[in-house]
Amino acid sequence: MVPLENYLVLSAILFSLGVYGVLARRNAVLILMSVELMLNAVSLNFVAFAAYLDPDKITGAIFAIFVITVAAAEVGLALAIVIRLFRNRATSNVDEAATMKW
Amino acid sequence: MDGIDIVGPQVAVLGGAGLILLVDALFPQQRKLLPYIALVALAASALWTTSWVSRDEYGAAFDGTLMLDKYAVFFYYLFAGITATVVLASIDWVDREGRGQGEYYALVLTTCSGLMFLSASRDLITIFVSLELSSIPQYILAGWGKDQRSSEAGLKYLLLGAVASSLLLYGMALLYGFSGSTLLPEIATAIRDGGEANRSLLILASVLLIAGFGFKMAIVPFQMWVPDVYQGAPTPVAAFLSVGSKAAAFAVITRVFMEGLAPKFLSDDWSMIFAVIAAVSMTVGNVMAIVQTDIKRMLGYSSVAQAGTFLIGLAAISAGGADEFTLGASGVLLFLAAYAFTNLGAFIAIIAISQKLGSDQIKDYAGMWRRSPLLTLALGICLVSLTGIPPTVGFWGKMYIFNAGIHADLAWLVVIGVLNSVVSGYYYLSVARQMFLGDPESEEPVGASPALMLALTAATAGVLVFGVIPMPLIDAARDAVATLAIG
Amino acid sequence: MEGFGVNFAFWTLSAVTLGAAGGVVVSRNLLHAVLFLILAFIGVAGFFVLLSAEFIAMAQVIIYVGAISVLVLFAVLLTPRAGRDNGETAMALPALLLAIAVATVFIFVVNDTNWTTVAKSPELATAELGTALLSTWVLPFELASVLLTAALVGAIMLVRSREEEAEDALA
Repeated sequence: MVPLENYLVLSAILFSLGVYGVLARRNAVLILMSVELMLNAVSLNFVAFAAYLDPDKITGAIFAIFVITVAAAEVGLALAIVIRLFRNRATSNVDEAATMKW
Repeated sequence: MDGIDIVGPQVAVLGGAGLILLVDALFPQQRKLLPYIALVALAASALWTTSWVSRDEYGAAFDGTLMLDKYAVFFYYLFAGITATVVLASIDWVDREGRGQGEYYALVLTTCSGLMFLSASRDLITIFVSLELSSIPQYILAGWGKDQRSSEAGLKYLLLGAVASSLLLYGMALLYGFSGSTLLPEIATAIRDGGEANRSLLILASVLLIAGFGFKMAIVPFQMWVPDVYQGAPTPVAAFLSVGSKAAAFAVITRVFMEGLAPKFLSDDWSMIFAVIAAVSMTVGNVMAIVQTDIKRMLGYSSVAQAGTFLIGLAAISAGGADEFTLGASGVLLFLAAYAFTNLGAFIAIIAISQKLGSDQIKDYAGMWRRSPLLTLALGICLVSLTGIPPTVGFWGKMYIFNAGIHADLAWLVVIGVLNSVVSGYYYLSVARQMFLGDPESEEPVGASPALMLALTAATAGVLVFGVIPMPLIDAARDAVATLAIG
Repeated sequence: MEGFGVNFAFWTLSAVTLGAAGGVVVSRNLLHAVLFLILAFIGVAGFFVLLSAEFIAMAQVIIYVGAISVLVLFAVLLTPRAGRDNGETAMALPALLLAIAVATVFIFVVNDTNWTTVAKSPELATAELGTALLSTWVLPFELASVLLTAALVGAIMLVRSREEEAEDALA
């Protein structure tokens, strides 16, 4: 049996990679992908906690399902806005697109 | 109490949203009716809430995930009022925009239902889903305008919102891992039993929760979206986010920290975090607001500073016994109501003026007194209330929160708060001075539509009436907080 | 699943997932980034299987790999100019330091906490999951459906072309 801590450390590293991507990348689509990595790290945490710590194992799994659902909605919406931005302009870089500052 | 009755106020609002979409699709000629359907739905929601209050039927529902108490009822009324005002303030803008009228009002109502659920949730999963239910329509609404700026505002708001959600979720995961449950009372029990040995985990979870909600509350260092989104989003939407989602974030964070994370060894830590963020938010918000030339950006930074003032109330929660608990939290609620009236009033006046001027520059407001005495007077009253000068409701909100801070031995923080109020007076009142004493560029009068005037009158009347007779509001805030089960 | 096999699977999946995630955040080609992302999603689904949450693993594959990644691919292909400049911001170095700090704090907390592991219970039954979703958590379940509808309506409104919008306004 793999110890719980291994999963948690793995999820922490995955989350930090996402944090780096969010802060360091300019492209909105790449930022979005980094956010997805962070959300995956969170789901992994929930499922690991459910498997090791929760006697009926249900709650964490339910939470993971909701995380996945909401992530799908957010991605769909973000891409809709990116496409809308592209209609008028030739960039999806958040800092360049900014008539306002990032 | 069961069945549909439990979620009646929200169902009324969501039913209104569905009806609006249907009417919009089936009777496109009747589009003028859409905002009134929204208003009727909100009135029905408030009536339903009133019927609970009269039946005195409070309690937990859905296996404890939803808690109907006076605290939730306070926010149900607040959100119904805020949303109704926003709907009134949107009518002109939506008419001119011409497209997607049904969808606009439907999304505004959907947000309102999410905000209501947020204030009543007592379970981390429900809190998360309600938070997203209120956020996602707001991302859409922020990007609703035709121009590039609005799309950028929507994208920026969404991306940062998604990052904030993942921070929040990580904090929730840690709490779930620690306690094996997502219900706040059970988390509180687990923390009382075994929390002291695992302080590092609980502090990290608190920090992540504050970060996640802090984005919605617009506190430093999660404020970077505020000025851009306020400037880029359609003004009625900016008014909505500045009041609605901020109030909901404070509602839920107060409930989470009081019902779930209250034990003394832990509350001392998060109280300190709140105090530091409060000081930084007030100072950064006010300093940045001084240099703004765009009135919407100025209000954006000022709302960051106001959020800092709210945090004094949260920081005051933890110190000492039950008295301070309720004093700090009821201060937050009172100030939220005061801030809702005031900021909505200010935004509506700005909507009316900028529709005519086509500009949000503060210098263009010069001499507005001669062009539109009523709008200028209303905006002036709201600016006075934002500063916190009597006889406005903003004065009582600030007084109450500062009082809570002093009772909680946070005198240093209150001093910073008072100094910041003086600084904020400088830029609020310099706008007022421009409007009353400056020379107008033209003498052409600036008017407002009846709907805008109605919304503006309601907000300004609230500012003045509760400024003169604050007791009903104070009592309501106290009663609401008294029902929270301190964990 | 016990012993060496599980450990081997865990370490292999870790290497693949973290490598792919690293690929997502450093690759300059958007298309490569999406492919790395798909690999990372599959890796996480593998962990769900190891944790005997097969249903979540399936959901992960269907939604993340099947839907989200494809959406992102569509967006990348529909907006060809997006691939032009995918460099880092000036914040790359502070971002790296912050990410390392975040990882350090999280890992410290993980090791500092006494996790009260319960005895291994039987596998997570999908039927129970469904029952819980429609009893205790029926409220968030319904809210999620409203949320998806709102997102759908909003996404459609946002991407409509100007001509469609003009027609709508005339109607």
